[in-house]
Amino acid sequence: MSSFLEVKNLSVAFPTEDGIVQATNEVTFSVDLGQTLAIVGESGSGKSVSNLAIMGLHNPKSTRISGQAIFNLESGPIDVLTAPTETVRKMRGSTMSMIFQDPMSSLHPFFTIGNQIAESWLLHNEGGKKEARARAIEMLDLVGIPSADRRVDDYPHQFSGGMRQRAMIAMALVNNPKLLIADEPTTALDVTIQAQIIELIKQVQKEFNMAVILITHDLGVVAEVADHINVMYAGRLVETGPVDDVFYNSDHPYTRGLLNSIPRVDSFHGGRLSTIPGQPPSLIHLPNGCSFQPRCSYAKHVFGNKCEISMPELSQKAANHLARCHLSEAEIISATKAGA
Amino acid sequence: MFKYVSRRLAYAIFLLFLLSIVVYLIFGLLPIDPARISCGVHCSPATVLGNRHRLGLDVPLYEQWWRFICGIFAGRTYGDGAAQFTCPAPSLGYSFPHNECVTNVIAGAFPFTLSLAIGAFILWMTIGVSFGIIAARFRGTFIDKAATAFVLIGSSLPTFIVGLLVYIAAFLMHWIDPISQGLWVSPFSDPFGFFKNFIFPWITLALAFAAIYTRLTRGNVIETSSEDFIRTARAKGVSERRILIKHNLRTSLAPLVTNAGLDFGGLLGGAIITESIFQLPGLGMISLKAVLHDYDLPLIMGTTLVAATFIILFNLIVDLAYAYLDPRVRIA
Amino acid sequence: MAIRQLRSSKVRLIASLSAVALVATGMVATTASSASAASHTGGTLIYVTNADSFAHADPTRVYTGEDIAFLNTYLFRTLLSYNPTVGQAGFQLKPDLATDTGRVSDGGKTWAFTLKSGIKWQDGSALTCEDEKYGVSRAFATDVLTDGPTYAIQYLNIPKDADGSSSYKGPYKKTGQALFDKAVVCSGNTITFHLNAPIGDFNYFATYPAMSPVKAKADTGDKYDMNPMALGPYKIQTYKSGAEMILVRNPNWSAATDSVRTAYPDQVTMRFSISEDVRDQIFLKDSTPNAVNYDQVMQPANQAAFFNSSASAGRGMNVTGPYTRYYATNVTPGHMDCLDVRKAVFFAINNKALIDLAGGVRFYGKLGDSVINPLAGIDYAPTHGGIHDSNFNIAGNATYAKTVLADAMTTCPDTYARVTDPKKGIAWDVANTATGQKAATLIKSALNAAGIQVNFNFIPSAQYYPTVQNPAKQGDISTAGWGADWANASTVIPPLFIKEGGFNENQNWNWTGKTTADPGIGYDAWHSRVVANMGQTDRAKQSAEWKALAQIVTDEYWAIRPLFSIEQEYWGSKVGGASFWLPQGALLFPALYVK
Repeated sequence: MSSFLEVKNLSVAFPTEDGIVQATNEVTFSVDLGQTLAIVGESGSGKSVSNLAIMGLHNPKSTRISGQAIFNLESGPIDVLTAPTETVRKMRGSTMSMIFQDPMSSLHPFFTIGNQIAESWLLHNEGGKKEARARAIEMLDLVGIPSADRRVDDYPHQFSGGMRQRAMIAMALVNNPKLLIADEPTTALDVTIQAQIIELIKQVQKEFNMAVILITHDLGVVAEVADHINVMYAGRLVETGPVDDVFYNSDHPYTRGLLNSIPRVDSFHGGRLSTIPGQPPSLIHLPNGCSFQPRCSYAKHVFGNKCEISMPELSQKAANHLARCHLSEAEIISATKAGA
Repeated sequence: MFKYVSRRLAYAIFLLFLLSIVVYLIFGLLPIDPARISCGVHCSPATVLGNRHRLGLDVPLYEQWWRFICGIFAGRTYGDGAAQFTCPAPSLGYSFPHNECVTNVIAGAFPFTLSLAIGAFILWMTIGVSFGIIAARFRGTFIDKAATAFVLIGSSLPTFIVGLLVYIAAFLMHWIDPISQGLWVSPFSDPFGFFKNFIFPWITLALAFAAIYTRLTRGNVIETSSEDFIRTARAKGVSERRILIKHNLRTSLAPLVTNAGLDFGGLLGGAIITESIFQLPGLGMISLKAVLHDYDLPLIMGTTLVAATFIILFNLIVDLAYAYLDPRVRIA
Repeated sequence: MAIRQLRSSKVRLIASLSAVALVATGMVATTASSASAASHTGGTLIYVTNADSFAHADPTRVYTGEDIAFLNTYLFRTLLSYNPTVGQAGFQLKPDLATDTGRVSDGGKTWAFTLKSGIKWQDGSALTCEDEKYGVSRAFATDVLTDGPTYAIQYLNIPKDADGSSSYKGPYKKTGQALFDKAVVCSGNTITFHLNAPIGDFNYFATYPAMSPVKAKADTGDKYDMNPMALGPYKIQTYKSGAEMILVRNPNWSAATDSVRTAYPDQVTMRFSISEDVRDQIFLKDSTPNAVNYDQVMQPANQAAFFNSSASAGRGMNVTGPYTRYYATNVTPGHMDCLDVRKAVFFAINNKALIDLAGGVRFYGKLGDSVINPLAGIDYAPTHGGIHDSNFNIAGNATYAKTVLADAMTTCPDTYARVTDPKKGIAWDVANTATGQKAATLIKSALNAAGIQVNFNFIPSAQYYPTVQNPAKQGDISTAGWGADWANASTVIPPLFIKEGGFNENQNWNWTGKTTADPGIGYDAWHSRVVANMGQTDRAKQSAEWKALAQIVTDEYWAIRPLFSIEQEYWGSKVGGASFWLPQGALLFPALYVK
């Protein structure tokens, strides 16, 4: 039995005047209904780009996409990367939905919240405006907007930031999608609101039994909601596995760096927060060998200059847990102890 | 809302009031004596004095101004005895070169200016907005490049050159008959004659505007198309066509309302070059002659105030329309 | 009459019944057709002009010759009219509203005219003697009705106030009405004018609309200018400034009472505000065949193309007009008070270049030898000196000018010092137009070559005459132009060269010199001779004296380099009967018809 969504060898490139920007390179993952996949990585690591490709939101004229993204629907599998645009368009908003980072700019300022939710419903359902409006109120109520029947006629600017994101979620869920992609849904929100939104996503996932892809750089959020995690670096998947396993036994130096850069209340190591030195590489001119090698403090533990010569394969380090590193899990642990 | 509009209107009246003072001051400072200029061929000092009285220039400037202001509300009476006549309220004075109350002179000229402005407006908005949308939609293609060329040519050719070229071409093709060109034809009694009279002026006046509005529309549509809410619409499964028409244009065209309103309001004060070339005796042409030829202060004052009123009025209309279009703008 | 600066020049002039024939320098006009009137009747005749309206269409105020001829032909009727025919016969006075050409008595101080009966206004009411009297009285309302001729005020026997204005203030104020009622008397259908001096040619003035009737009840003062009531064969249907005047047949006009007007077209339209370029193109292309140019000029750039083309043959004439243009010298002490300086300026100027600049001798004007235009008839004779001086060179004679200027060093050293000082020089008033600017350059280089310095005062063209006719504002030399009002130099020498004339750009009443001819006379003696000659009833003696006075104007260089104007008349191919009406200096409007 295959997963609900299977992404295979997904590559997204943008030809520019300076050269080809390889934003996503041969990414493979899958996600199942009821499961939450977190994708983490720095800005520009390709996490949003790959998901926009799944949604079919890239401009085909300025993007080169290859690979497969197969939705295993009841009616049969559909590869959205090769399916006709009209088929994919009809899946957007019904089968798959997406919410974005900044709910203010993502909502149309000239239309009421209700209008925007209703539009989404009307696009994919047979029914009148009255019905759509009732549905919008129902959805707003569901996502916790108080007196939804009144607020349905408000404009986005009359909503607070958290309420806007709730409205976005309501809009994304109005057609009972099977997949929800949440692209940094809490980044633009206050910390207190963030938790509420994450809680909401968790709650609706249960209710709708959806597959959720959560794009974030907030590992705290990942720990709270995700089942599985994909770590991306410079357009490539560098580590993937169950959240607990990856958190406690990270098999890639970059993941370890990310984890160490989280402030921890329970940590009294007394030291400063560790950061990953250096900058993410240019996606036009990637370094030879391992893309992370120039920033990697573990590279010296690899025999010879292998890291500078060859890109490591994504290889199994533990059950269901893969990482793209020349070192084995045991070597990484010992190197960490040696003070890498 | 009512409070806002009435406050804006009060402010507008105050501005017009100030403007009338400024025009009187400028005219008072000019080294020109209309009494002497219009004094005629047998100009004796006595005639100049009589003329000065006739023109109402024999009292201090502030009193001339005050009489003008009073006239707006109460009307004005000129002359003595059997030659006495009245310009009823709202009177903007009497134009001696036209032998007519200024209000009537302006009322006679306004249909030309209004017809010119409305027709040109429709033409340039239609062309500018559709070219702009098409260019944005087919960005980077030959169509877009053609539209860009149109923008460059249209906005760099001076109106008087366009007007002369259009006039000469139309004259040589016998599309314009100089004898009837510029005589008033009512659009209600003779729509074709009206159209014939105005089509070339419309083209002339609309060309530069169409170019500017093509550029504005294209820029706005392209800018809007990279907005997050367009991506949201796409993520909802809205079709490209509907995204353009409903989601994009609403936002792209809203700022154009400001430009269009102000441009249109400005044109209601008269389009001097186009009116002159096509012999249309509209507000622009009568103002020009009043300034250059007749030193006709009452008429200058009248046309200035009318033009200013339209500009101020359309500023207000634009603000109200924008508030209607963009719910983020609230009027209080 | 004066030449207006901005608007196209429209003039009225005279010549006498005598000698000088029209000089047509271009095509010769077709002569009036002898075909039957019926074949000419009908159609619409369209006049085209650059002007926005008639300067005036109020009979009391209209004073530009062509407008007078036009309005008299179609709209007004006057006591007398010029004979509507080509050639010398055109100068004959014909009774129009009157039964004869006027009966003079009391040694020329009383003139009587009897109105024909059966003449109706356009509203159907009968014309009365009171209407005629009222019409004349309006000339006295100078505060309301500006710009008209003032001969009625000058001639009628009504006392003057201390400031020189008439004690009668016109029919609106009615001040001094009794004085007017005494000077102008109606008795039945006969109106009698009592003059303050013998005026032998008073009946010429009776051809003026200012001497035509106005119905008191229809008089709207200032506004009458836009809606005058018709007595003639047409009435105003529409008159809109900047647009057009449409004249349609006046059913209350009766051809039986009118021996002057033919009334061929069914409709006459005057189309205003046509730009000069468009106007010329209409006729170059013959795009409106039933159109007639009303502006009496053609743009210099188009003149040769039109008048040399066979396509426009028979559609235009290039005729000697009634104006004399000249440079007027302000002879007030401290200005051009030195004869030798004035003379040096005259000999130094490059006339050829200046005339070429304005269109050349074919289309603009040719050098004249008197301030009186040849078309003024028996009062014109070539004066001695001036352009007939052996030292005169049309392109300027700097050498001779220097010699004359050297004389000024001794005759008037102060003026000499001033005009040769580069910081001062002659103050020359020029209209601030493109042509004016170019002319200034030509004048400057010619004068500098003769050692004379000059500075130009550029005046906006609309203000040119108001400025130079203001004694306080006039510089040393200014432009002037004049045409006689009728066939007598009494309408030339007095208006231009005595203080009360009204168009004196010489300010010679301030002159302290004496004439060079023996015995020399000063301004007072000059003034006496002019005024005396105005009252001279012996026409031959009067004419001889005008010629003698014109010679003095030439000798004293009050009018430097007279130029006899040339003007252009042209029309479309469907216009018939076009010819020149000598006494009116315009087309013979009554003869024009649509083919």
